Amino acid sequence: MRREAAPAPAPAGADARAWDLPTRVFHWTLVALIVAAWASSEYAEKLGDATLRWHRAIGYGVLILIVWRLLWGVVGSSTSRFSSFLRSPLAALSYGRDLITGRARHFLGHNPLGAYMVLALVAVVAAQVGLGLFTTEHNDLADGPLAKFVAESWLKPIRRWHHFVFESVLLPLVGLHIAANVLYGFVKREPLIPAMVTGTKPAAPYEDEASARIAPLWRALVCLALAAALVLAPLKLIAGRLL
Amino acid sequence: MRLVRLHFVAGTLGLALAAGAGLATAQNVDVIKKRQDILEGMGKATKPVGAMLKGAAPFDLAAVKKALALYQASAPKLPPLFPDDSKTGGDTEALAAIWENKKDFEDRYAKLAADAKAAETSITDEFSFQEEMPKVVGNCGGCHKKYREEKK
Repeated sequence: MRREAAPAPAPAGADARAWDLPTRVFHWTLVALIVAAWASSEYAEKLGDATLRWHRAIGYGVLILIVWRLLWGVVGSSTSRFSSFLRSPLAALSYGRDLITGRARHFLGHNPLGAYMVLALVAVVAAQVGLGLFTTEHNDLADGPLAKFVAESWLKPIRRWHHFVFESVLLPLVGLHIAANVLYGFVKREPLIPAMVTGTKPAAPYEDEASARIAPLWRALVCLALAAALVLAPLKLIAGRLL
Repeated sequence: MRLVRLHFVAGTLGLALAAGAGLATAQNVDVIKKRQDILEGMGKATKPVGAMLKGAAPFDLAAVKKALALYQASAPKLPPLFPDDSKTGGDTEALAAIWENKKDFEDRYAKLAADAKAAETSITDEFSFQEEMPKVVGNCGGCHKKYREEKK
């Protein structure tokens, strides 16, 4: 982990809290659910799941996570709040320029360019799960809870979009996201991937803040309950049944 | 005189070739149309089944039995309708993988018919329908995923 090569003169071994536990659990749960969502569709036949019950259940899970992240972006720990990491596109461009010219700038939370990646990933995952709500399994054996409000002629285009967004938008974005984080580790010696596991980064004079102000865990749980209610209650009410 | 005869021979040959080609194309489009009609018929019979699985329509054992009977009648007709000269043409959605995995492809129709037959006795009420029917219609999706490119 070459901590000694970390930016700026920090006391050896000193760590700064970067990501709270809920944000890290959110991140890796989302990764797991996206992989599971793909597998549950790809291997539906092997799973004996012609009506895509698993795929739909996972979709609700993803939607709850996304809503939770939006809530946490308002009331969560400092580094998870949108107000702390969303900066103007100009700021992102200027950071990008500094990145290319090799001028070192360090952020405890998301850097101004990374912030837009986070935004894009959340938006695309939300769009993908949103499309799923409105479409049907290709033989019309099962459908999303809102598909009945869609004209028959729209179901197929939406299904094609659902496939397109996954393969041609989400996967490339995820690839870029992973590549950027790996490059930060190897080229800039900033251990971003371990930070998303341990929650800490080597202490350094970061531009945004020295150490994250961590929100209490109970607040994350309240947000989770709220997110689940916000997602499941209206859908259950409108669709009658969820699976 | 000789030149005329030569022209005549060439002309006849050309005409015969064109007719042959035309015949081959016609045959191939014909078979594509035939299999599409059968598959579409199976799809139509599945419509009410899907609605029942989704809980959008009340359980109707007669419609289920009708679909199961149609699957059993249709499945054996399909394997011969994928001859080598029908890989492309018309608006076929068949993927080349069919001809690369002919045995698996044909086995799937046999399995569909067998599963439909088994379901005829195992499905007696709505509960057993929800349990057993997905196993039968799961054959459709599994085969489509591997062997069909959805167009349009």
